[in-house]
Amino acid sequence: MLKLGNVEFKSRLILGTGKFSDTATMIAAIEASGTELVTVALRRFNRDKPSDDLCAPLAKLKGVKLMPNTSGAMNAKEAVRAAQLGRELSGSPFVKVEIHPNPHHLMPDAIETYLAAKELAADGFIVLPYIPADPVLAKKLEDVGCAAVMPLGAAIGSGSGLSTAEMIKLIIRDSNIPVIVDAGLRAPSEAARAIEMGCDAVLVNSAIAAAKDPVAMAKAFALGVKTGYAARQAGLMPKSDIAVATSPLTSFLK
Amino acid sequence: MNLPAWLNPEPWLNRTFTAADVQHALGAESPDEETLAALLSPAAADFLEPMAARAQALTRRHFGRTIQLYVPLYLSSWCSGGCAYCGFASDRQTDRHALEFDAVEKELVAIKAMGFEEILLLTGERSHKANLDYLRECVKLAARKFHNVTIEVFPMSGNEYAQLAEAGATGVTLYQETYHPETYDRMHRWGPKKDFFQRLEAPERALAGGLRFAGLGALLGLADPRHDMLALYRHARHLQKTYWQTGLTISFPRIRTEAGGFVPPHPVDEKMLAQIIFAFRIVLPDVPLVLSTRENAAFRDGMAGLGINKMSIASKTTVGGYGDRGSEEGQFDVSDTRGLDEFCAMLRSKELEPVFKNWDGVYRLTA
Repeated sequence: MLKLGNVEFKSRLILGTGKFSDTATMIAAIEASGTELVTVALRRFNRDKPSDDLCAPLAKLKGVKLMPNTSGAMNAKEAVRAAQLGRELSGSPFVKVEIHPNPHHLMPDAIETYLAAKELAADGFIVLPYIPADPVLAKKLEDVGCAAVMPLGAAIGSGSGLSTAEMIKLIIRDSNIPVIVDAGLRAPSEAARAIEMGCDAVLVNSAIAAAKDPVAMAKAFALGVKTGYAARQAGLMPKSDIAVATSPLTSFLK
Repeated sequence: MNLPAWLNPEPWLNRTFTAADVQHALGAESPDEETLAALLSPAAADFLEPMAARAQALTRRHFGRTIQLYVPLYLSSWCSGGCAYCGFASDRQTDRHALEFDAVEKELVAIKAMGFEEILLLTGERSHKANLDYLRECVKLAARKFHNVTIEVFPMSGNEYAQLAEAGATGVTLYQETYHPETYDRMHRWGPKKDFFQRLEAPERALAGGLRFAGLGALLGLADPRHDMLALYRHARHLQKTYWQTGLTISFPRIRTEAGGFVPPHPVDEKMLAQIIFAFRIVLPDVPLVLSTRENAAFRDGMAGLGINKMSIASKTTVGGYGDRGSEEGQFDVSDTRGLDEFCAMLRSKELEPVFKNWDGVYRLTA
């Protein structure tokens, strides 16, 4: 079971809700994925125009928890304000802290994210920060009470896969809280690999929303995540690229 | 008058590009001026289909299957400017209006009722009716109702922009019109707008003053489009490097024959416009590209999602157009006159979601 704060999840797939062609497709993809946790940007909450609002249709889903995110915030102060408003509007204790001051490449701001996460964790939120794949930052966020860390596999929307795999392995090695790869995944096989590597879950949005058939792709990601976890449980055989020398190097040992 | 080295497009203008150059540009891993010059070249006109495919893939990757919507509100048609191509220039015989604050409020209510969340407030050059104080009040009124309030007005000082940011404005749109100094001088016959550099540097002053979005563009038709588009790209890259936290957008307004009989000396046809937009999507894959109702419905429908990811609709270019004065002559003729519902239905039929709210007032300086 994946445990975030005091909440347990059977599914290890978390979905983002942007970029879909319509609400019906988004909902169908969420249902096909079997996810129990979805993230939605506060900037896409629209209380004034129901047809433009992403929050209300998600809140209606049974068995799926909402995690507002602070995308659009440029610094810790704005993210904290957004998180508080998101909690007020959605009633959810979860928050994905997402601070990207450059609105084009959307890379997370490590410093501001740390400051916001610390404040929000102290305020009782279940905090999941979206971060660069930095093992030191990950430990510091654990120390201030985050429920998980979410290092990026690659840039948001890039579909470049697990380009930060080596750093993520270091994060996993020393982490006492769940590690969730967020951003960059393109194919279900990459989700499987992330889970095989030891990630506790993956968060996927663009790869599903921008696929030719988003609903079918959501299902495929669910299978990828399950396969990865089953493989990890089964125990992967050790990798070995050391050939055994015909003249043993250790023959001198008595 | 010479353009500064960071802006000057000349080094890329005198090259001849071949089909092989265009193919190379289409696959460029790190697009640059060379890439753009190749994609804007006559040789690239034969590659519209692969350029469109690449533009669509990049648009979908970065913006998903969504089109962000905004709406303009013309506050005042008073203008001290002498732009040769503009229906509101000070020597044009036209009825001038500036909305009083209660009329602004009425327009805002009407627009909000349509469902918009991003509003663009427009005036002409600084005038006795439309000055900083007036604009600041209008921004305040709009910020009470709309999450995202942006302005397309006369260039200001950094301090003035800061006051508008404090009042609730988040972004500024300011087209250089043309990056060709001699043409610029000829087109802008008098007034403060004659100063090319005062205008060129205005977006930087706005960003330094606390605004976080900047919209750039050039009026297609005034000068050689390749010159202007390369300079526009260089301007955008300059701002991205200098103000790295800025959200840029780029628009592609085509100048039309206006009241006063202005005929654009370098007309850009639909194919060329499409080529320009595809090229920009390829060289700036994560920058929102905007297309307004200046263009006709068929062209807009085709370009939605094909490079373009942000559009206006249901626009009135007359002052007071959303209320009582809908039928008067505007700054330019709206070509796509469809209503909001019809336009959204078109987007949905193309599996594109119209997005009204994509920002939140909670991120405002004043919040």
